[in-house]
Amino acid sequence: MTSKDSSPSDVTIRAEHLSKLYGDFVALHDVTFSVRRGTVCAFLGPNGAGKSTTMKILTGYLAPTSGQASLAGFNPSDPSQRLPMAERLGYLPENGPLYADMTPREFLSFVGKVRGIPKIDAAIDRVTPLTGIQEVLWKPIGKLSKGFRQRVGMAQALLHDPEVLILDEPTSGLDPLQIREVRALIRDLGKSKTILLSTHILQEVEAVADEVVVVREGRSVFTGTLAELRGDSTVEERFYKLMDAPPSAEKKEVA
Amino acid sequence: MFGLRPNVVGSIAGKELRSFLGNPTGYVFLTLFIGTSAAAAFLDDGFFGRNLADLATLNRSIAPILMFFVPAITMSTWADERRAGTDELLLTLPVRDGEVVLGKYLGALGIYSVGLVFSLANLAVLLYLGEPDIGLIFATYLGYWLMGALFVAVGMVGSMFTGNATVAFILGAVGCAGLVFAGAEPWSSGLLGTLLFAGAAALLWLVVTGASRGVGLVALAGAGLGLGAWLGGLWPGFTDLVAHLGAQAHFTPMGEGIVRLGDVAYFGGGVAVALVLCTLLLNRRHW
Repeated sequence: MTSKDSSPSDVTIRAEHLSKLYGDFVALHDVTFSVRRGTVCAFLGPNGAGKSTTMKILTGYLAPTSGQASLAGFNPSDPSQRLPMAERLGYLPENGPLYADMTPREFLSFVGKVRGIPKIDAAIDRVTPLTGIQEVLWKPIGKLSKGFRQRVGMAQALLHDPEVLILDEPTSGLDPLQIREVRALIRDLGKSKTILLSTHILQEVEAVADEVVVVREGRSVFTGTLAELRGDSTVEERFYKLMDAPPSAEKKEVA
Repeated sequence: MFGLRPNVVGSIAGKELRSFLGNPTGYVFLTLFIGTSAAAAFLDDGFFGRNLADLATLNRSIAPILMFFVPAITMSTWADERRAGTDELLLTLPVRDGEVVLGKYLGALGIYSVGLVFSLANLAVLLYLGEPDIGLIFATYLGYWLMGALFVAVGMVGSMFTGNATVAFILGAVGCAGLVFAGAEPWSSGLLGTLLFAGAAALLWLVVTGASRGVGLVALAGAGLGLGAWLGGLWPGFTDLVAHLGAQAHFTPMGEGIVRLGDVAYFGGGVAVALVLCTLLLNRRHW
């Protein structure tokens, strides 16, 4: 776990022995970690490692084949707990899927209505400068650049000022300047919110994360703080070592 | 009702309606529907031959027209969400699956209703040519609306299975065709009955076991059972029973000005069954 000594009340996101099978294909195998309240945790791994599947389970979109998850004290797989959990969660899915025929303003207004936000205009006015989408508010989303679409996705995730944010590759498709801005935003949000973000970019981990979970081929191979991951070498060296090591030896080595 | 929040359902329905009407393709389909229904009503020789200001000629062909028109509305309801990945965004908002299904259904039904309102131009033609019985026309249009409402729900079920809008259209049209041709001929009723057995067996398997593995085999066994009941005569009156599921039989009285509670219940019940099926299929992501 990223926080072995923390009490249950300190933990906002918890994954316990999560496994997910698609037919015979094992997408996740016995993934366990937790994220403490008010920290930024990077979910690091190569493409196809199981990052998005884990996030889909944590957000209640998918149910695990076995194991249990909890988010803000609620079980995402329990239909009776999914709604109160979703009210506390802001989620940016992979590739920032949006309704292309809407403008960002219409889209945020739609999300606000579905979420039952009482003052939608005020909420939109709050997240618009935060994510830097003022200039494209009335342009169709389908005509926006990947960077702006990603920022609109961030804006919807922040619209209801959630206590937990799950961001699936939030800087994917952004240019270097936009990446710098989004990372600064994440660092800023991380002061008051619990954030789990997936990435396969090592610099991103060093730039924003307090804690790190490394996954490989559906298994968690490291959980700990950034300093623990770095050890006496660099994050890059340590990451490649984790990726190269035989699966059975990894966990023992880093525990 | 049923714990569904009207504001959430309304927001989703409004989004669907705006999305369709904000797209030029939507207007093409609406125009095609209005043109086709007008042609079926007035270009048939029977219309002037009968010398009656009614829509009897359209009533004969409305079911096949809707069989193609309605799936064109519903094909994108789920398929586009799945293709774009927005289903993940939508279903991780604080919404119940039932609210999403009902919202999308009402949105699609709203689009169909808009088309039907424009097709009231047919009434203007009747008023120009003669003195139509307004009660008869009301009952007929109620029948059109109820049949469309059922086809919208069935088309949505078709759209649940795929991320490709064209495939969703075909599946929706096949589903609606089942309702159009049930009761038309004994063979078509038997075929639909067999397919229903297969579908029911597959659904039962999915609900009971929660696993999709082996579902094809179970569906095949269900089809075998249905085929046995139909051709083997194990269940006398099999085709007669299935014939009752045909939409035309329940629409015909309305086309003649008679609104029977049983017929309204048939369409309403069919919508409910299809929407529950949609909700179950939406929930399969948890299986």
